[in-house]
Amino acid sequence: MELRRASSTTIEGTPIFGGTEVVPLLRSGILRPETLVDVRDVVPHGVEGTRIGAGTTLADLERDPQVPEALREACRLAASPQLRNTGSLGGNLLQETRCWYWRLNWPCRLHGGDECFAKEGEHREHAILANGFCASAHPSDPAAALLALGATVHTSLRSLPIGALYRLPTPDDRRTTTLEAGELILELEVPTPERSVYLKAMERKRWAFPLVGVAAARSGGSTRIALAGVAPVPWLLEGDLADATPLPRNAYKVDVARALLRRARAAVDA
Amino acid sequence: MARLIKTEKEVEGRYEEVWLVVEEDALEQWPAGPREVVGRPATRIDGLERARGEAVYTADLKLPGMLHTAVLRSPYAHARVSSIDLSPATTMPGVHAALGPDDLPQLTRECGFQGAAVAAVCADTYAQARAALREIVVEWEQLEVLLDPDEAVARGELVGEPRLRSRGDFEQGLAEADVVVEGEYRTQVVLHNSMETHQSVAQWLGDTLELYISTQYVWGIRDEVASELGLPPDDVRVVCNYMGGGFGSKNSPDDYTFIAIELAKRTRRPVRCALTRREENLATGNRNATIQRLTIAAKADGTLTALGGEYVNATGWGGWSSPVEGPMWLLYACPNVRTSTWGAKINQPPMKAFRAPGFVEGTFGLEALLDVLAAKLDLDPLELRRRNHTENDASDDRPFSSKNLLECYRRAEPHWERRHDVRACSTETVKRGVGMASQIWYGGGGPPSYAWVRVGSDGRATVVTAMQDIGTGTRTAMAQIAAEELGIPLEHVTVSLGDTSRGPFASISAGSSTTPSMGPAVRAAAADARRQIEEIAEQMGKADAPLAEIVSVLEDAQILGKGARGPNPTGMQVLTFGVQVAEVAVDVETGEVWVERIGAVHDVGRVINPLGASSQIEGGIIQGIGHTLSEHRLHDPRTGRILTTTLDSYKLPTIADVPEIVSELVDEPDRHLTNLGSKGLGEPPIVPTAAAIANAIRDATGAEVHELPVSREEMLRALRDARERERVGASAGV
Repeated sequence: MELRRASSTTIEGTPIFGGTEVVPLLRSGILRPETLVDVRDVVPHGVEGTRIGAGTTLADLERDPQVPEALREACRLAASPQLRNTGSLGGNLLQETRCWYWRLNWPCRLHGGDECFAKEGEHREHAILANGFCASAHPSDPAAALLALGATVHTSLRSLPIGALYRLPTPDDRRTTTLEAGELILELEVPTPERSVYLKAMERKRWAFPLVGVAAARSGGSTRIALAGVAPVPWLLEGDLADATPLPRNAYKVDVARALLRRARAAVDA
Repeated sequence: MARLIKTEKEVEGRYEEVWLVVEEDALEQWPAGPREVVGRPATRIDGLERARGEAVYTADLKLPGMLHTAVLRSPYAHARVSSIDLSPATTMPGVHAALGPDDLPQLTRECGFQGAAVAAVCADTYAQARAALREIVVEWEQLEVLLDPDEAVARGELVGEPRLRSRGDFEQGLAEADVVVEGEYRTQVVLHNSMETHQSVAQWLGDTLELYISTQYVWGIRDEVASELGLPPDDVRVVCNYMGGGFGSKNSPDDYTFIAIELAKRTRRPVRCALTRREENLATGNRNATIQRLTIAAKADGTLTALGGEYVNATGWGGWSSPVEGPMWLLYACPNVRTSTWGAKINQPPMKAFRAPGFVEGTFGLEALLDVLAAKLDLDPLELRRRNHTENDASDDRPFSSKNLLECYRRAEPHWERRHDVRACSTETVKRGVGMASQIWYGGGGPPSYAWVRVGSDGRATVVTAMQDIGTGTRTAMAQIAAEELGIPLEHVTVSLGDTSRGPFASISAGSSTTPSMGPAVRAAAADARRQIEEIAEQMGKADAPLAEIVSVLEDAQILGKGARGPNPTGMQVLTFGVQVAEVAVDVETGEVWVERIGAVHDVGRVINPLGASSQIEGGIIQGIGHTLSEHRLHDPRTGRILTTTLDSYKLPTIADVPEIVSELVDEPDRHLTNLGSKGLGEPPIVPTAAAIANAIRDATGAEVHELPVSREEMLRALRDARERERVGASAGV
């Protein structure tokens, strides 16, 4: 494996920024790239008004008063201080599921296999929505916040609403993002809401992925709500959770999500 | 005078009869209360060394030419190696040797759990060893897995003999009762996760072996290794100077040590075999899961008439069936007790001792159900426990050597009284409450254990004993005891430990035994030195002069004192006691539980170092909070393969999960126990934490949790059941 330093935003190989996600995936043999490209020199960082460089660390975002509350809180409640000091927003949006079967490299559907081991197995942290093909849960707190905030993603090739960055895996295409090979997230445009909030349920007070994360943002008289940890991708909520399809051991997540939804709505509508 | 006695030896609640040579314990105990050094807070004498990174742990050791080992472990919960070819690995870069199942008894073809060691490779670097390991060609025959503990018991797949015990007449006790409560409780598998993973470095010097190992028992390692290799025990030198945690999982040499020894022999080089965090979470033991089906019967005034328990220990592929029924037998005065305890042999990694094995789990079930009884009888939970207090072992009327549990209860009252104010801080969604639980456990230590004390002409003393300080601060406690007995400042005492070739035999550091086993030996050795110095003083005509002045005439001469641990009192039970009071908050909509405060009062006899003791209590409680709320080793229910092998998926408590902890020790010397009157404190603080938290949850919400950890799922289930009970109760007009 070769490590290169990117000199432009056109790269060939697997990008690495803070390494908090890529390194564990290398170590467990899930990522086996021929070339790793260090993109820290070419991905913008910092916050200017509503524009956020994808290379901004979570630690910087959680402290910056220009950043909407929901995103700041989503960053603050993510990971540990050490990880937030290192990991970038762009990397956070592209992180893979915490599904233990996937992380342990079982030949599951997300890895191209023909079985979702979680559905018949241990799935207490797994998806309660859109889990028919694959029950993995998307772990990013900031992604849910950005989805509720209606952020736009600027990549090295195009601009797209953040919802379009993600796709549900299908039998024909197991990917969970729409990024092309070598495409880099460079910046995000994050509209300023009237109010926004992020609430998170986890298994301990700090340093845990969301069992359920709920982001709500109010703009122009309407409220957008997005969830983390409940579907294979960050989930924009339409209606209530009546269409949830919990598995035998994760129905509690529906209750938790409902409670957080009520609180999030109350917080932004107040 | 040396004396041969037959005595009961207890480790972790397991007793065996042994012959022992002991010395009389002729010293009078010091009067109760703080002395000059003993009983006063002392910072660790090795604290700076550790904080600066100068202390050399096994993990830090780099011997010249040392090779590194990677171990091939079974990826399956039950499988047979039908063929294995090591040869592709041996030609890989940097590789020096490889071992397979035919080379070493500790490597196996028959794998009953994921993580069983099958083969090993050593190379110049760990990366090379790991790369080579991937080249080994194995054909696996996967076998049926048995994972359900109840099914294992039904099929007679057992670890150890079932224990069927009774005292009095259980049925009669039920018949006499006004109220009977029953409940099924389950506890999960939790992992030790010591900061320093299990590891050894082996080096052969001719025909003798030097073994550096992260262990709780250097002498046990020496004897087991010598016996396995057919060597005279003194040809095996075992060293463990600093140690990064064990919690019961590092009492024996295990596969990695024998792998390092054999590879060192074949390569004639020092060889390290160190487990990775992922291996650590598979193959180094665990606190096994339990199922507890419990019955408590009582009179209307709370007097217990019968206690019953059917216990299943899901021990895994090996290990032993822990005394999960112990608290039911020892804690209260109930005349009628009947228990059965089964060790279920399932295709999971074997259990190992883990900080008060059995008693942590058993206390959770017993004390939680006792609060259900208290509610049914409309009795104060603390009062219910007082009414069933016992001054002796209710099974055989053996007295306890000392017991100050009632005093613990008395001192816990201010914590308990806070419950009214705590409840009043509840909101619509966040309910607050207070719960308590009693603690009982062993911790008396025992002989044999020896120490030497050397005093030089500079007036400084060195304690020499081949014990180990497993991170608990016993090095400092031993220095305090020697300083006290010699009448010199603590700064003038050093402690040499952790090396079987440099000091006499010393106790295992398990079962809360280091301080009660070693402390009396160190005091006896210091007293022996002091007596010699007094004799010299008398000859100098300076009977009242300070030690430093007397020994200053010695030049190169030294005063050498030796001491031995005397026997435990015969016909008595030596146990530790305590109570913890937990304050919790429960978000009744999201099922989140957090602990806001724990008050802990324990009775472990005389306290040597109050600062070290409070940090032991805090450590036990924090580990208990993890056990209660977040830690859970999960396996795939179809294949038995382990899913949580990393520290992001296995959730230890973080500092944000740690509440205010207020601890207190009764500090009353056990006048029957040794020249110190001290018992151990390593394990007692973790025993009642889960039960106290569960009872606080009940106090806050009325919900009864039955499973550990109290996850969101379990908490929301318990809340739903409580609402249902209330609805049914209301419609029945009760």
